[in-house]
Amino acid sequence: MQKRYRTAENIIFDTIVYIVMIFVLIVCLVPFLYMIAVSFSGMKPLVNNEVFLWPKDFTLESYKTIFTYPNFFHAYGNTFIYAFGGTAIALVMTSLFAYPLSKSFLWGNKLITKMVVLTMFFSGGMIPTYLVYSSLGIVGTRAAILMPFAINSFNLIILINFFKGLPVEIEEAALIDGLGYFGILRRIILPLSTAGIATIGLYYAVFFWNDWFNALIYLKGSQYPVMLFLRNIVNGTMAIADGNGSAEKTTMAISLKSAVIITSTVPIITLYPFLQKFFVKGLTIGGVKG
Amino acid sequence: MKKSLKSILALTLALVMIVGLVACSNDSSSTPAPAAGSGTSEPSDDAPLASDGLIHVSMYYADNPTLPWKDDWLAAQKTAEICGLELEVEAIPSAELGTKVSLALNTQQNCPDVILYQTTKGENASLALNGAIVPISDYADWTPNFNAYVEKFGMQEEVDALALADGKRYYMPALTDTPFFDGGLIMREDYLKNKGFDDPKTFDDLYNILKAYKEDYPDSYPLTHLVAPYVTNRMTMTSWGVSFGKSSSSGTGALSWDYEKGEYFTGAISDQAREFLKYMRKLADEGLMDPDIGSGGTIDGDVWSNKMATGAAMATYAYYDQIGGVEAASEIEGFKLQMYPSLEGPAGAHHQPKSRTGAGIMFPTATSKRDDFEQIVRAIDEMFYSEECAKIWCLGVEGETYTMDGDTIVYSDEIQNAPDGIYKYMQVKYGCGADPVQQVWILDQELSKYDENYAEINAKVAEMGDVIQAIPPTPLFDDMTAEEAATLQTPLADQIWIWMDAFVYSGVNGASEADGVGLRDPNNDADWEAYVQTMKDLQIDEFCQMYNDNLPK
Amino acid sequence: MAKKPALTAEEKVARRRSAKNHFRRYWVLYAMMVVPVIYYIVFKYLPMFGSVLAFRRYRPGMGPFGTEWTLRYWERFLKDPAFWSALRNTVITSVSNLVINFPIPIIFAILLNEVRAKKFKKVVQTISYMPRFISTVVVIAILNELLSPSSGMINQLIVAFGGQPIYFMNQSSWFRPIYILSETWQFTGWTAIIYLAAITSISPDLFEAAEMDGASRLQQIWYVTIPSILPTVMVMLIMNVGHLLSLGFEKILLMYSPANSGVSDIIDTMVYRVGLAQQNYSYATAIGLFSGIIGLILVTTSNAVSKKLTGESIY
Repeated sequence: MQKRYRTAENIIFDTIVYIVMIFVLIVCLVPFLYMIAVSFSGMKPLVNNEVFLWPKDFTLESYKTIFTYPNFFHAYGNTFIYAFGGTAIALVMTSLFAYPLSKSFLWGNKLITKMVVLTMFFSGGMIPTYLVYSSLGIVGTRAAILMPFAINSFNLIILINFFKGLPVEIEEAALIDGLGYFGILRRIILPLSTAGIATIGLYYAVFFWNDWFNALIYLKGSQYPVMLFLRNIVNGTMAIADGNGSAEKTTMAISLKSAVIITSTVPIITLYPFLQKFFVKGLTIGGVKG
Repeated sequence: MKKSLKSILALTLALVMIVGLVACSNDSSSTPAPAAGSGTSEPSDDAPLASDGLIHVSMYYADNPTLPWKDDWLAAQKTAEICGLELEVEAIPSAELGTKVSLALNTQQNCPDVILYQTTKGENASLALNGAIVPISDYADWTPNFNAYVEKFGMQEEVDALALADGKRYYMPALTDTPFFDGGLIMREDYLKNKGFDDPKTFDDLYNILKAYKEDYPDSYPLTHLVAPYVTNRMTMTSWGVSFGKSSSSGTGALSWDYEKGEYFTGAISDQAREFLKYMRKLADEGLMDPDIGSGGTIDGDVWSNKMATGAAMATYAYYDQIGGVEAASEIEGFKLQMYPSLEGPAGAHHQPKSRTGAGIMFPTATSKRDDFEQIVRAIDEMFYSEECAKIWCLGVEGETYTMDGDTIVYSDEIQNAPDGIYKYMQVKYGCGADPVQQVWILDQELSKYDENYAEINAKVAEMGDVIQAIPPTPLFDDMTAEEAATLQTPLADQIWIWMDAFVYSGVNGASEADGVGLRDPNNDADWEAYVQTMKDLQIDEFCQMYNDNLPK
Repeated sequence: MAKKPALTAEEKVARRRSAKNHFRRYWVLYAMMVVPVIYYIVFKYLPMFGSVLAFRRYRPGMGPFGTEWTLRYWERFLKDPAFWSALRNTVITSVSNLVINFPIPIIFAILLNEVRAKKFKKVVQTISYMPRFISTVVVIAILNELLSPSSGMINQLIVAFGGQPIYFMNQSSWFRPIYILSETWQFTGWTAIIYLAAITSISPDLFEAAEMDGASRLQQIWYVTIPSILPTVMVMLIMNVGHLLSLGFEKILLMYSPANSGVSDIIDTMVYRVGLAQQNYSYATAIGLFSGIIGLILVTTSNAVSKKLTGESIY
């Protein structure tokens, strides 16, 4: 569409841009490739530091070990429930709140926004929070993960600002056409905000996918997500009773750690290309306005 | 307008349903337990006894990746069956168990009925004194099996010593008839034989052996660390009469116990400590000890194992059951490892202290509100301490995992030939010998899981006398003092860790002046005084006084 | 909605009428807020009552709101050298992190936008997000592996070039660089999403007009792109400043070791250590409350400043 200005300055600029991008590519990819290589490598080349970006003495042993852990797949299933369920609920709740809050003519709007900001800085601490959740009867149920994190104040503010940036004219036209505000939110605002929704959706999904601490505190063993399992393997040193409490005895093999890291990270990474469709779509639609 | 109202209603409904559904789908399988825990006023929920006559009990287990809980563990199934228990075990990652227990006890909500692998040190002591834990010593009538073993092992005094300031004991500890020597100095026996060395008796002998090895293999670091240097430290420094730093016997990192006077002293800044650090410094400076202290505080298990297997190191402080793995990995001809009794230092030959009582079983107060509390306590007592069950927790089921040949225990072929050793195999496969659950440890039975060599070493150690000293007593703090002690302890322990590393490794690692406390040498008086002064500024003396003032009578 | 002096009767009637109109027109919007507001009250505000613990002595097992009123925890932290050192560490680490890691995603987003090859752009974008998807536990595990003195890739390179292995994870002097660089690695691509979204919504007409005027690519960035995304930048800056006192807590906790405690102990790790490890909940609450107040002051100030200077604010 645009004419190219093949000036020296622009060519140098382009070159720099490409160099930077290639550097970014390498930096972001290498640790992953290294982990993958390690997870498929045999023990001997590993301890002799012979593995770099390609597996040596190829073996599936580490993966076999993980898959035979009791509850591994169960935990995996749990994670999927939290990531999908949690994100769905969170998106509904957050857009439901962000839309009215983006209308500065509403009374109390400022006060509510301030109250929202306040929650970003103060929390009640673990025990009071636990007691509230417990009296709601959600501790030990999956709702303890799905409900309390439905709105993240940071994401809410991002979405409010996104909504604020949308053109008012379309809305006004829709109001004249007799569409209610709810209809506007559903039929006009949300489709226009795919980029924003996809962004915070991804934020939420990643939060739910990676959260282990809340799961540890509010859930029962059978409901634990795979991240807790991963944490146990990555950080867990074999502790043995040694009179005074316990004493570390040995750590897990690095190939095993890498294999757990890979298996627990791949699904959330592969999620992105699917979402990217929405991004692209959202971004182009977002770009039309002017 | 109407349309949007409907839509809102529909959406809210949908939301409620989603949440409700999720909660319900989950409830159907697991509601009884939380209700049981929180139910002070609704005991009706607590007794799913009716249908099958089993007592439903929920339980926390300290889960570990190298020893993950399995519901189908033979030992767990069998003992539960014998005692009429229906277990619901929550496997909590061991590193987070403390958090989870603390929450359960603090709130008394969603508590498990039984918590395994606990002591009443630290916060648990305050919780107990404030009524969050059942004083199990008040219910001695309900724990006949536990009492019997205490008497059999002659441990009444030790068990009584676990009582808190109010004179009550709040948990049933694991009981050991004789502490084992399960880990210690492990060296290349083949090298010693080749070079004509006798078994080492003193730390000077060790030094000479390491020195010889270094001369033969200049690229090696003969003594290497399992996990981190503190493992080596805690197994050796007792021979100098002190125990400080991470996982030291007092649990404070700063204080040591004077076994003669029966009181604490400021071990970390004592002359003995200085002598110990000088010895370690010498090893490090001469390249006899591995300068690799790990990344982020730990050395990978396979890195350690590889160093031993390839001859990059020839000595280490580790555990007997790890020998097999290293030997199997080595390609060196004639490679053979041996564990040696503790070496003699200025204060005699000592291993790290061990207690005959271990972490044990605790009942949250919420459990005592259950109608069938007595049955629970009796059943748990039977499940872990009855002779029949204790044997199952150690050996498994006769006819299945082992058979008796006269007086000797013969394990099934499958166990006998397990590649990672009988002990490890039985733990993982059957749950037999899993630390968090086995409550009665009898040396003779344990030895059957190892080879004769192990028995011989243990016999040698037993002959030497007090190699394994008792763990010093825990002071009985009230809440306020406990708070203060905890506040003093962390900075002390942290500083000691930094100074210890600086004292020992300043000559070798890439330690820089800017780092922590800079380059230090225990042989240098000024450095030592600076260290002592730092500790005094952090109130190590007051801290010690606090401990001594609150010792149990 | 400026404040007005006393209203006349007429004005009151007018107001009431307009209020009626207002609600008749906008009740749907108010109705939408009901569920979220209840959510905020229940899940965010109710637990906040726990903050009274900062002024009350908590005794384990004796009620969640403490047993008696006391100011000793405030006195203690004012006198506690560990607190002041933690505060200093927090500020230093946080400010250096902000100075380095706030502009980087913006620059990255702008540069990425300049990539003309659509496919390549998409690939870079996708891959640059990847680090954000892995959990902190894993990031630390990867760091430990890469930086390990005996087997890490980085140290192998150093040794291959004839250097001495560096104990990155044990040395306090390396703590901040590692923390900040790992933040760069984790969040650059991710944070850039927001800026990219903002850049894409700039009208192409503006660029075309600039190009017509003979503006070079750099000039276009300077005169079109940057002014257009300034609102987004300001909002992000306010948020970041407000969060100066709360760093990536979990990561620092995982990187914490006594050896680097001199620089790595920040307020959040201190709260964690005091509260969970030493079980002094009251003291931990007091510290947490203090850092919350500071955060609030910071965000209010930066919001006001930004409103004055650029007209942008988050509320």
